[in-house]
Formats: sequence, C-alpha cells, structure tokens
Amino acid sequence: MTAPAVPGWPGVAASAALVAVAALAAARARLAMSRELVVAAVRAAVQLVAVGAVLAALFAHGGLPGAAGWIAVMVVVAGQVAARRARGLPRARGVATLAVAAGTAGTLATLTSLAVIDLRPHVLVPVGGMVVSTAMQATALTLARLRDEAAACRPAIEARLSLGLSARAAFAPHTGRAVRTALIPSVDATKVVGLISLPGAMTGLILAGVDPVTAIRYQIVVMYMLLAAAALAAFTAARLADAVLFDDAERLRDLR
Amino acid sequence: MIAVVGFVLDQVSVRKGAVQILSEVSAQIPAAMCTAVVGPSGAGKSTLLRLLNRLEEPDTGRVLLDGTPLPAYDVRALRRRVGLVAQRPTLLTEDVAAELRVGRPDLVRHRAVEVLARVGLDESFLDRATSGLSGGEAQRVCLARALAVDPQALLLDEPTSALDGVSARAINRTITDFVADGGTAVLVSHHLDQALRISGFALVLRAGRLVECGEPGSLDYPGTAA
Repeated sequence: MTAPAVPGWPGVAASAALVAVAALAAARARLAMSRELVVAAVRAAVQLVAVGAVLAALFAHGGLPGAAGWIAVMVVVAGQVAARRARGLPRARGVATLAVAAGTAGTLATLTSLAVIDLRPHVLVPVGGMVVSTAMQATALTLARLRDEAAACRPAIEARLSLGLSARAAFAPHTGRAVRTALIPSVDATKVVGLISLPGAMTGLILAGVDPVTAIRYQIVVMYMLLAAAALAAFTAARLADAVLFDDAERLRDLR
Repeated sequence: MIAVVGFVLDQVSVRKGAVQILSEVSAQIPAAMCTAVVGPSGAGKSTLLRLLNRLEEPDTGRVLLDGTPLPAYDVRALRRRVGLVAQRPTLLTEDVAAELRVGRPDLVRHRAVEVLARVGLDESFLDRATSGLSGGEAQRVCLARALAVDPQALLLDEPTSALDGVSARAINRTITDFVADGGTAVLVSHHLDQALRISGFALVLRAGRLVECGEPGSLDYPGTAA
C-alpha cells in the first residue's frame, strides 16, 4: 500500500491513535497527565484547522493586501511577546514592535525586490511567519539583555557619561554584548543546519516529494533570510534602546 | 567671603518616587575652593553632587554654573567641564593607558604620565592591567581619568571612604593641588575631619535640607567646630 505524499483526513484520524497510545501510557504510569495530553492534542487540531481555513480564505480572496495585513498582525503580536521579556524597559512595546517590523520588512523587501521569492500570498505568509518569529526571538533577547545591562552596569555607564561621552557611546559596549548574545541562536542554527537539524522548510518540501537537491535551495534562502531578520531586528532594538534608556540630558533613566 | 561663585542651587527639590531626597535647597558653592558636603547618610549629599553634572535633574528649582542655568550648557561639554569621581572606582577598560583615554581619546603618552603624577602614580602604571590594581590605585586611576579631560570643577563622592591611608592622602593631595591651581572641588565625605581640613567651605545637609553652611570652623554640626 502506498500512502499519498500528504496524509488524507482518514490518515489524520488514524494518527490520533498515537495520542491514545501516549495517553494510555501516561495513565498506566499514573502521571495524571492523560487528560492534559488529550486536551493539548484536541487543541492543536482545532487551532490548526482554524488557521488552515483562515489561510485558505486569505489565499483565495485576500490577495496581497490580505497577506500584508496578516503579516502586520503577526508583527504586532510578536512585538507584544518580545516586550514581555523586556519588562522595566521604558516604552518596551513600541521598541519591540518597531524592531520586529524592521527585521521583517527589511528581509521581505530584499527577498521580493531581488525576485528570490514570489510576491504571492501563499509564499509571503509562511515565509513572513518564519521571518517574524525569528525577528521576535532576536528582539526579545536583545531587549532583555539591554535592560539587564543597563540595570547592572549603571556605575560604568554613568562613569562614561561623566567623562562627557554621548549616551550612545556610553552604552555602546553594552549594546554590542546584547546584540552578540541575541544573534547566537541564529548563527549557531545556521552553522549546524543539515548536520544536526533537518529544518522545517526543507523537510516539508522533501515530504511533499521534491527532490532533496531542489529542497536545499529553499533552505539556503531560508537560513540567509532568518540571519538577516535576526540581525536587523537586534540592531534596530539596540538602536531604539539608546533612545528610551536615556533622556534628553543624556541621563540613564531609572528602570523599574 | 565668597570671591567667585561657582555653582548656585536655587530652591532645588528632588523627589524619587515617594521619597523627598532634597527639599528646597538654596546654596552657593564657591569657585576655586574645595567645598565639603557633609551630613548623615541619606541626607541627600550624593544627589546634590549629581545635580551639578546633570546626572540628576531637579524636580523644581534650578542649578547654575557661573551664573548660567545648567540646561543652557551642552550637556557633554558641561560634563567635561565638571568631572565626577564616584565612591567606588569603576574601571572601564583593560589597561590604565586606555582608561585615561576614555574621556580624552587624543591623550598623548607624556600627558598621560603627567596626569598619573598628579594622583601620585608613576609612569610604570600606564601599562598595568586595570584588573590588577588595588582599590586605592583604582580610585586614583579614576581620579586621573577625570583629570585627563581638564575639568574646571571636580565632584568627588566619598572618594576615600573605602581606601587605605596612603591612597586617601594621595587623593586629598590631588584635590588640594587642583584647588590651588584654580579648580573648584565639591567633596562629599563621611570622613568629616579629613574633608573639612582640605575644604574652605562646607554645606551641612540633614534629611534633604540645608541646615548650615559656611567656613568649616564656624559650623555647629557635630565634629565640625574648630
């Protein structure tokens, strides 16, 4: 029996047997997790069916404006999530949202203007999702680190300010450290790709029957765009952090 | 009594959250002299000092330097003119030579040696790693780092409180020399007798209020009477 490249609904239903196995195993081991497991599985199915329906509608009727709107919503949500990691930083939400937006816009604009990817909703939305989530991660790491550095290194920062350095110069060593930390996950993922991990885009294409040598072309583009998204978002977050951490008189604000 | 006015505090109040740090402080800090700022801890001494180079901003009232409100100066130029040495030495670079250039990137070697000499350290310190300095040496390097910028005024926040006698005396000598050359020094200190010995003027703060000011020998503050 040969299965289709993509499972049909009966296949999906059959795969629920796996959930049952996990739930049974949990019950036998008295982990008291069976219920949670089943709820999670049902929840995943409901969420994905809903997203699938929305995306289908979006691709059919939304056109490019719909795709752009979808990406904009993702950027706003990602900004909120990243800002939560930077609690105490003044105007964290605005900074995080702008940083994610810059990483996303810069990367997508480059990809589309160089005609690397198609300017079509069914391409832009999934690619945009990858870009936004990477930009979100880099933004959250950058802002959290910058907030910690500003709080912990106040004496050093004020020593530099007291010598007449600009706020940006006084904070530059900390900005550098924060951006470096934020980019480590992206750089490391890029280094080991294919060796340790077979990433999602490539896996998906191979599963759908695309020749691996073709599938890696997409993956190379994906890795490059994720690097760019992370870097753009981290640099933007760091740049904006200068503006919110210091006031007009180049004083480090109180962080709470 | 006061020849030239350096800083003027005019009805200055500072509040941090629910805490009133300074309440309507009006005072003059004479130029070309060392002024001691004394009082119990929590009196607002450090905040007063930090107002003078705009690391703090008054909520109400104003601070003037040479008759001009501080916000009228470019803040970076002001901070180069009014150096600050904090209580605990904070070194920013790997070695002493780099440390002296933080605020003065164009500092040439013989000028760096001169600056070190002003704090009682010899040329061999230039190539020393900052991580290997003792607390006293580190504080003297911080003072030299401030002097390298050629400030007209020095703000010193308990600069000798954590130091051995040798380093404390060296720093006091540096302050005395700085004032003798026409510089204005403002010294916050717990070492009352030491601070007052090198000061020609003193402000006494208590609970955020100025309670006394004048020549050190004329004050009622415990331990300040000659």
